[in-house]
Amino acid sequence: MSRSVWKGPFVDAYVLRKAEKAREGGRNEVIKIWSRRSTILPQFVGLTFGVYNGQKHIPVLVTEEMIGQKFGEYSPTRTYYGHAADKKAKRK
Amino acid sequence: MSAARVCVGAIAGAFGVRGEVRLKSFCAEPAAIAGYGPLSTEDGARRFEVTITRQIPQGFAARLSGVGTREEAEALRGQRLYADRDRLPPLPEDEFYHADLIGLEVIDTGGRPLGRVIAVHDHGAGDILEIAGGAARRGSVLLPFTREVVPTVDLARGRIVADPPPGSLDTGPPPPGSRRAG
Repeated sequence: MSRSVWKGPFVDAYVLRKAEKAREGGRNEVIKIWSRRSTILPQFVGLTFGVYNGQKHIPVLVTEEMIGQKFGEYSPTRTYYGHAADKKAKRK
Repeated sequence: MSAARVCVGAIAGAFGVRGEVRLKSFCAEPAAIAGYGPLSTEDGARRFEVTITRQIPQGFAARLSGVGTREEAEALRGQRLYADRDRLPPLPEDEFYHADLIGLEVIDTGGRPLGRVIAVHDHGAGDILEIAGGAARRGSVLLPFTREVVPTVDLARGRIVADPPPGSLDTGPPPPGSRRAG
C-alpha cells in the first residue's frame, strides 16, 4: 500500500467542522473556507463552499464528479474576462 | 437588457496576398463565427459575409465579402466584428447567453438593488454571476447561477431576482485573526 493511500485524503479540520455544522443546520449558506488544499469528500456533495482565491470567496457548488479533487482547483487566482460572444450559461 | 449586437471576433490583419484576413474568433466554438454573418464593424458602417478558408495558428484565414486585396485586408486590422443578436440560435429553458445576462440589474427578493451583472464565470463548478455596484460596495460579489440563488431571470424587463445565501454579499479579505492556514 502506497503511503498516500495509507494516509487517506487530507482535509483541514475546520472545513469538516463547518461542513458538518451547515449540514446539520440545513441552511443554504455559503461556507467560507480558506483551505484550498483540502480534498473534496463525499459528505460535501450538495454544499456550496466559498473558496478563497486570495481576493474573494468563489462559490463552489460541490457535485459528485468533484470528489477527490482539491477545493483550490475550482477557485482560480487569476481572472480573465474575455468576450461574451455566443457563450452560454446554464442555470442548475 | 439584451444587446442588439454581439462582438464575436476581430480582424488581426491580412493573410497572404489575395485579400484574405486573419480572423480571431471569440465564440465558444471558434468556427461558428462564419455562421453568424453578415458581421458588421463597430460603427456599423461596413458589413461582411465571412467565409473561413483555413485554420491558422491563433485563428482562421477568412475571406470577407468586398475585400479583394491585401491592402484592403490590412486596412481592417484591429476592427472588431459584430453579429446581430437575432442571429444567435434560441436556447432551451434555463440556458442564457452571457451577452444577455451581462448588464442586467440584480435585485433581491425584497426589491433592494444589488447591482448589475458585469461578468459570467465558469471555473468548473457551475456558472457564477459577478455583480458590481449596489450592495456590492467594495469590488464585486459572486453568486452561483442556480435556481435556488437566482430564481428569476427576466430578460424582457432587464432584471434578475436573486436570493443571495447568507454571507455571500460580504466582500474583501477575511477579518484579522480569522485567516486559516492553507
